[in-house]
Amino acid sequence: MSGLDRRGFLKLAAAGALGAGLTACGGGSEGGAGGLSLRYAWWGNNIRQQNYMKALKEFTTQNKDIQVEPEFAEYSAFQERMTTQMAARDVADIFWIASPQVLTYHKSKLYRRLDDIPTLDLSGYSKADLDSFKLGGELNTMPFGIFVPVIRYNETWAKEDGVELPAVDTDWDAWAAFLVDYTRNNPGKRKGMAYEPDADLPFESWLRQRGEQLWTEDGRAGFTVDSTRAWFDWWDKLLKAGAVLTLSEQEGMSPDWALVGKKVLAKVGNSNHIIDDAKMFPDQRFKLRPTPVAAGAQAGHPFLYFPRMAIYQGIDDEKVQAAGKLVNYNTNNVAMLKTVGLTMGAPVNPKVFEQSKDFAGQDEKEMLAVVQAAREAERKPRFEAPPGTSTWRTAMARVAEEIALGRVNTADGSKRFLDEVQAGIERTRK
Amino acid sequence: MSRVSRLHRQGGAAHVFLIPWWLGLVLVTAVPLVASLYLSFTDYNILSTPEFNGLENFRRMFQDEYFWAAVKVTVIYVLVSIPLQLGFALLLALILDRGLRGLAFYRSAFYLPSLLGTSVAVAILWRQIFGDDGLIDRALSVFGLELGSWLQNPSLSLSTLIVLNVWTFGSPMVIFLAGLRQIPEELYEAAKVDGAGIVRQFTSVTIPLLTPIIFFNLILQTIGAFQTFTQAHVVSGGTGGPANSTLFYTLYIYQQGFTNFDMGYASALAWVLMIAIGLVTAVHFVLSKYWVFYGDD
Amino acid sequence: MTTATLETTRRSARAAVRRRGRRDLLKHLGLGAFVLLMLYPLIWMIVSSFKPDHLILTEPGLIPSEMTFDNFAEGWNALNRPFSVFFANSLIVTVGAIVGNLFSCSLTAFALARLEFRMRKVYLAITLVSVMLPMHVLVIPQYIFFSQLDLVNTYYPLLIPKFLATDAFFVYLMVQFIRTIPRDLDRAAWIDGSGPFRTFWYVILPLMRPALVTTTIFTFIWTWNDFFVPLIYLTSPKMFTVPVALNSMVDSETQSGVGMLFAMSLLSLLPVLIFFAVAQKQLIRGIATTGLK
Repeated sequence: MSGLDRRGFLKLAAAGALGAGLTACGGGSEGGAGGLSLRYAWWGNNIRQQNYMKALKEFTTQNKDIQVEPEFAEYSAFQERMTTQMAARDVADIFWIASPQVLTYHKSKLYRRLDDIPTLDLSGYSKADLDSFKLGGELNTMPFGIFVPVIRYNETWAKEDGVELPAVDTDWDAWAAFLVDYTRNNPGKRKGMAYEPDADLPFESWLRQRGEQLWTEDGRAGFTVDSTRAWFDWWDKLLKAGAVLTLSEQEGMSPDWALVGKKVLAKVGNSNHIIDDAKMFPDQRFKLRPTPVAAGAQAGHPFLYFPRMAIYQGIDDEKVQAAGKLVNYNTNNVAMLKTVGLTMGAPVNPKVFEQSKDFAGQDEKEMLAVVQAAREAERKPRFEAPPGTSTWRTAMARVAEEIALGRVNTADGSKRFLDEVQAGIERTRK
Repeated sequence: MSRVSRLHRQGGAAHVFLIPWWLGLVLVTAVPLVASLYLSFTDYNILSTPEFNGLENFRRMFQDEYFWAAVKVTVIYVLVSIPLQLGFALLLALILDRGLRGLAFYRSAFYLPSLLGTSVAVAILWRQIFGDDGLIDRALSVFGLELGSWLQNPSLSLSTLIVLNVWTFGSPMVIFLAGLRQIPEELYEAAKVDGAGIVRQFTSVTIPLLTPIIFFNLILQTIGAFQTFTQAHVVSGGTGGPANSTLFYTLYIYQQGFTNFDMGYASALAWVLMIAIGLVTAVHFVLSKYWVFYGDD
Repeated sequence: MTTATLETTRRSARAAVRRRGRRDLLKHLGLGAFVLLMLYPLIWMIVSSFKPDHLILTEPGLIPSEMTFDNFAEGWNALNRPFSVFFANSLIVTVGAIVGNLFSCSLTAFALARLEFRMRKVYLAITLVSVMLPMHVLVIPQYIFFSQLDLVNTYYPLLIPKFLATDAFFVYLMVQFIRTIPRDLDRAAWIDGSGPFRTFWYVILPLMRPALVTTTIFTFIWTWNDFFVPLIYLTSPKMFTVPVALNSMVDSETQSGVGMLFAMSLLSLLPVLIFFAVAQKQLIRGIATTGLK
């Protein structure tokens, strides 16, 4: 080896160390000169990332004294990062909350109260609304969207195949019978739906119609083995009748829409998904309808699900006003929604809800209508998932999978699922 | 120079050489390691302070069916995929080693899968190959075999991950190639002069001199296989499904620690894994005395 | 040597070349087929990246019915800033990591393989043990450490460990390589009066070149592809490395943007591939010039 190589090695070492160091130094914050800097953390895909970056920029142009440092990641990556940040107590000033974690974070006092921040305007909400946002009697998270459980169907295909859907208030069995019938007779060899017993909002809808709850006010599982079993049975029957996709056809639980969208007439899910999902099949028109209603369903069974955001408990005091402003822009200002669209559901603020109808596209209008109906219905209170249940959906998907594979029957599977959920709750209660 | 003073002088120099290593050990490795050992005896959900709970976490493992599922998956994976991967790597390295034109091309081509390795795109590629109506499914259906998606079949899904590991045989292959280059040409010449044929050269020169490299690859690939995470995470979407058939041990640690926030249990699981790897490695080292040949000893 | 014997030697040499040519042709055919089989997934990915999104999953064959460059154009700008930013970030991290590993691991390996001191075996064992640590339990204490130093959202948490020989894999790799270098070489240097530093610098380091190149290649690839650690430490999108940026393009729930993902994944493969192609030439030359005499 010649001397040059050794010198080169050294030079490269020096240059590399220096270069890396310098760049790392320069990399601190998005803003810099003057003003406050807020960290804002959210999740989604590239389109949502772009839209929110744009909206945050618009916010900072209007508020010259505030800088926003965006912290973005895809949904599961977001949670990984959030976990690490929580352990180090180094959480973003404003962050979105993944649904299973709402009360877990609450229990660990991650949220700052919101009703003492003058820049966050709560006047647009009724007292009943505000009460329904509270956790443990305190307003410390801000809903920024509404989802409801729905059945989404491909209207284009329904017309092509000449099928008539059952009435909107049809019960689960009639809907199942329709799917079986559709699968047998449609010329495109499509199936009725994907196999999704792990769809959380529809399952909750099923429970509430039977007078049960997903979670109780005192932080327990509010459902019985019987109701869960009935739910799995309903799906299992569809699966055995060939009216829903097999796990092989849909490549596992929680299938990708891009893959199953071309194989099914309908699917259960959340109302907001229509907005991104419909775009993947631009030639088709999608419609929403509420989930079926069991005969003799309990009054007050409809419910709204809120995605929430919060201000971090450990935020610097001088940043609170600015953070309030940004949360306010997120929740009470139609300008933000015009930029980011309605992928996170219908606006919660009633005034913004009305305003959003003006710019909503056809899919968004479809979603707003179904949310509005639920909003006007009688609703019993709904409670969030208690600490220790952050993996309940995984547990449910596992059981649903094993039922589909014939490895466990619906009775044992339901029992195991409930046991697992309860064990998780117990562990954190100790 | 007396042996003692030499040892002394080298000891001083050694500690200068080892300054970065020492710093790294203390700052980056040892402290977190001790922290995780402590956590393994606690109930720690990341958000609250850890509470000492003795051997509870370890006791819990014995009754945890997912733990046993994870152990089974990981052991099968290590036992099957390591010999396959190293066998392939060695075979290809030997084929490529001596004077073949286009060597650079082949080496790059075989290495390509390792480059792609664990990217998000692999999940989609694997579905394209092993999924329902994928390449394999369509090929097999010609012979009347309708297996559907391998990824969704609990008895086949692990094999797709073994294939993925074998597919990335490029990295041990490169190490084998580098090792083959280290073998002095003179030894082959000498063997030829002694009248050794290709086979004899292979068994008495190539293989013995390559044993340290084989051992090196074996140790590291084994440790790596015990720790397989990203592939499993990407291909099963983090679930370890179907029916826990790809629930790798580290995936389960990850689920407990990062999704279930049960960092105490996750730490205990990690320590059990570490001890297991340590034992396997120790056995390898003991056995290595019988087959690994170091030039300097 | 007479002309006649020279002629015979030449003729037999030519015959040998011909024989070898035939054998090589067979070898090439076999290897070529194997390469195709191995690379089929990649080829499919390349083809797919030129297909419109809706055709990628519906049209499984290799010959596209429609071609487009949209995936590249859209993917390049899909994240508010051109993808070149992420390439630059990845390059900084990767180069830093390579330099760090070469520097710290070679020093450590030399001491562990060649110098005699008390507890050497223990140190070696510790190194090996640290290869066995599952990273997920170390991540949180490490993160707490770096966040206490206020280094989150900088590249330091990714680089500092590399300068501290924490990639025990490479230490071990280099130790194994040094052990294959005949002891006589450094004994000779020793007799000539070289101390350990001169011996390391003038005798061992040059001979370690294959191991150094291997370390460079692997560090490059692993750092370039690393996802979890950069994800946790780099929060701001403008600091993202390529894998973190790629991951933030796809939604785990829907699979929109598969085409863009493929296109950008391919582009992100290019630097690694080019690097590998160049570095392996380097590897051959390194061995050819130093040899092992």
